[in-house]
Amino acid sequence: MQKLTMKKGYRFRMAGAPADELVVLPAPARVAVLPERIPHIKPRLLVKKGDQVQIGSPLFEDKRNPRLRFLSPGGGTIHDISFGPRRVVQAIVIDRKENPEPETRFQAVTESQLAQIDRQALVDRILDGGMWWAFRELPFRDLPAPDGEPPFILVSLNAKEPFQPSPAVYLKDHEQLLAYGLKALNVLAPGRVRVFADASESSVIEKAGQWLTHVVSGNYPCDDPATVLYRIKSDASQNRAWFVAGQDLLALAHLLREGRYPIRRVVAVAGSAAPDRRHCQIRLGAPLSQLVDDARLRGGERFVVGGLFRGYSSDSDGYVGFYETAVNVVPEGGDPEFLALFNPGVSRPSYSRTFLSRLNPKALVYNCNMHGDLRACIACMHCADVCPVDLLPQMIYKSILAEEVEEYLELGLLDCVECGLCSYVCPSKIELSRTFIATKAAYAKEQAVKPD
Amino acid sequence: MKAIRQFFENQRRHFEGNAPLARLEPFYEAMERVFFGTGQVTGQAPHARDSLTVQRYMMLVIVMLLPCLFFGMYNVGLQSFKAAGQPLDFWPMMVFGAKIVLPLVIISYLFGFGWEIVFSAIRKHPISEGVFVTAMLFPLTLPPSTPWWQAALGISFGVVLGKEVFGGTGRNFLNPALTGRAFLYFAYPIQMSGDAVWTAVYNHGAQAVDAVTAATPLALATTAPASQTVEQTLAAAGYDFSTLFLGFYPDSIGASSALLCLIGAVVLMIIGVASYRIILGDIIGVLALGYVLNLFAGEGSAPYLGMNPFYHLIIGGTAFGIAFMTTDPVSAPDTHAARWIYGFFIGALTVLIRVFNPAFPEGIMLAILFMNVFAPVLDHLVIRLRIRKRIPNI
Ligand code: SF4
Ligand code: SF4
Repeated sequence: MQKLTMKKGYRFRMAGAPADELVVLPAPARVAVLPERIPHIKPRLLVKKGDQVQIGSPLFEDKRNPRLRFLSPGGGTIHDISFGPRRVVQAIVIDRKENPEPETRFQAVTESQLAQIDRQALVDRILDGGMWWAFRELPFRDLPAPDGEPPFILVSLNAKEPFQPSPAVYLKDHEQLLAYGLKALNVLAPGRVRVFADASESSVIEKAGQWLTHVVSGNYPCDDPATVLYRIKSDASQNRAWFVAGQDLLALAHLLREGRYPIRRVVAVAGSAAPDRRHCQIRLGAPLSQLVDDARLRGGERFVVGGLFRGYSSDSDGYVGFYETAVNVVPEGGDPEFLALFNPGVSRPSYSRTFLSRLNPKALVYNCNMHGDLRACIACMHCADVCPVDLLPQMIYKSILAEEVEEYLELGLLDCVECGLCSYVCPSKIELSRTFIATKAAYAKEQAVKPD
Repeated sequence: MKAIRQFFENQRRHFEGNAPLARLEPFYEAMERVFFGTGQVTGQAPHARDSLTVQRYMMLVIVMLLPCLFFGMYNVGLQSFKAAGQPLDFWPMMVFGAKIVLPLVIISYLFGFGWEIVFSAIRKHPISEGVFVTAMLFPLTLPPSTPWWQAALGISFGVVLGKEVFGGTGRNFLNPALTGRAFLYFAYPIQMSGDAVWTAVYNHGAQAVDAVTAATPLALATTAPASQTVEQTLAAAGYDFSTLFLGFYPDSIGASSALLCLIGAVVLMIIGVASYRIILGDIIGVLALGYVLNLFAGEGSAPYLGMNPFYHLIIGGTAFGIAFMTTDPVSAPDTHAARWIYGFFIGALTVLIRVFNPAFPEGIMLAILFMNVFAPVLDHLVIRLRIRKRIPNI
């Protein structure tokens, strides 16, 4: 076990952390899959409204590679398929049938079979079981090509983003499943699997320590796979590492070991405006209404599915996406504050040292106010100071505006871990990270068109 | 608070859409921000944003300049009263100083902010709050005897040619306040130099009192007789170390007190508004070159060479320039390493210009402007090095 210490990033004291209790919620009447929330893919629907589906029946495939199929997390009838602008498939909603819920079975792989299975056979099992989405490839965070040879497979157990489920909670009683999953990854990338947890997770380190290769200590996003890769890579050939999130690894292991499509998820319900802050075990694709009791909100809240720095905002009648493992409810904060400029700021969160909150040991409430207007860059360099992978965000931003492709690639745009911290700290409120994510995605698309 | 909110809500319609004042929307916004934070919320991730705004950043600099402003008023009064042989009572001196200084500050704000509004309306960009700092810095660097029209001309030159012609804040590479100051220095050398300009004329009734203006420490240092050290010359003129450090000597309005500049610099460094790299770089540069020159001092050389390097920090505008001018982040380089180098060269050049070019007794102004020009080059070099250290990812 190696120690990695990261100095940059952002240490926040944020109110609204979830309690460690785990509540198992009953299966909801409806579940949904949100193709729109799976980055990069081009979905081709395989079902239509009114079709009967089982848990594990294919709902859609990726036009770019039809072997990448996405399966239904519920058995019953397709209630609705909703489309957004330019016919983007937003949601496929399934009305569940109870007792028994129809389910497709897959071939299970026992522990002893796993020890001998060859790589191709295992890849086929995962593709058939519709769990290839558990893998994503850096730097674009797209689904990797199934026959690719990853330089590393990175498994991050933690998510320091506010607020994500604690690994101590979702790993509880599943250590064996984790071990099984890691063996499976070892078949795909023998000796190149790297597993890490945050140094503050002492109970996880105690229980799962034997499987960890790295313990990271530092601030958000020190435990992001891309941050870790930045630290451990030794040459450019390792840039295209794959990564798997902790819970996605458990899901993958569940599919292989049990031969059943994994539908269990632990999500954190958190945020300073959430009525109950805790961990919930839900069905994959459960509605938000099941997690947050609308009637107990005061009004003026925002639902963020995922963490506060990377998640997407959603109406209270939305659903939890495939990759998301948290619902954060925070105050919208849309009222202009009187004399905000002169507020000594005892409880104003800030990365800078210009507020008295610096000396306030209490956890602070973060809201969604912009706290300022768009201005020209004043070269305060907060963005560079906070960036976990030593980028110069303001320079990259300028070269993106000037369309200097060579220059921003050289400056390391593709190393960006998409943590959102540069946008967070910017006093000029420049949308740095959003621009970087869009530029990376456009570049990825270009590369896909003309492979060299 | 409700009443103010109401007032802004009522006025908003004049600045929106097709209303006659729509072009002045940036002005409306800037004024509203003095009283209210924004009501905008984030559209996408990251959903939360830092509470720090550009407005606050600039306000903090202005707050740290206020002590210099008030001390400047007092000192202007003090030096005039001394020269005119008047009794040194606090309030009369303060009032006299205020009458000299405040009009210059007001003119600077009127013209600086005025140009900013004009350009924001033409270019349709928001008001940049940096102009409030520029307009405060500029008058503090002027001699108290500056005519009002020159102040107006100087700040206009600084804002328009130092900043707006390059495309506004963020694209300018010269410090606008210093650009304006340098323009006056070169355009009106008579009014901007010599011993007399540093002391305001005290008028008693209708006729001016015959004033005996004192030479500035910088002038004394340049002309110190070879038989004495500079320190002795200064002390003989009444400028011992503590007088110089505290700032009780004729100089530009707000720049004389090294103590207040030190306090300002320390506070701004602690709260992270000023780059400690630049400030420490500056100081190291001044001291390093000061000591190097000491090595060359000896029999027959100019006594200025042998001056205690710390004196360079406390006489003239060095302290003020270090605390408030070199730290302007826009005209300084961006990268950390380049900021150290930038600071060091400013410090070193300041001393060089002072000692070897008697035509420019105040070196820091030129040193900063000169290094402003080189800031992008320093950045470029540092970035090349950084790129070479990165494992490429393309
Ligand atoms: S550039 Fe911004 S989003 Fe990207 S890693 Fe750095 S701080 Fe995070
Ligand atoms: S944080 Fe914003 S204002 Fe500061 S240097 Fe970065 S882009 Fe410029």
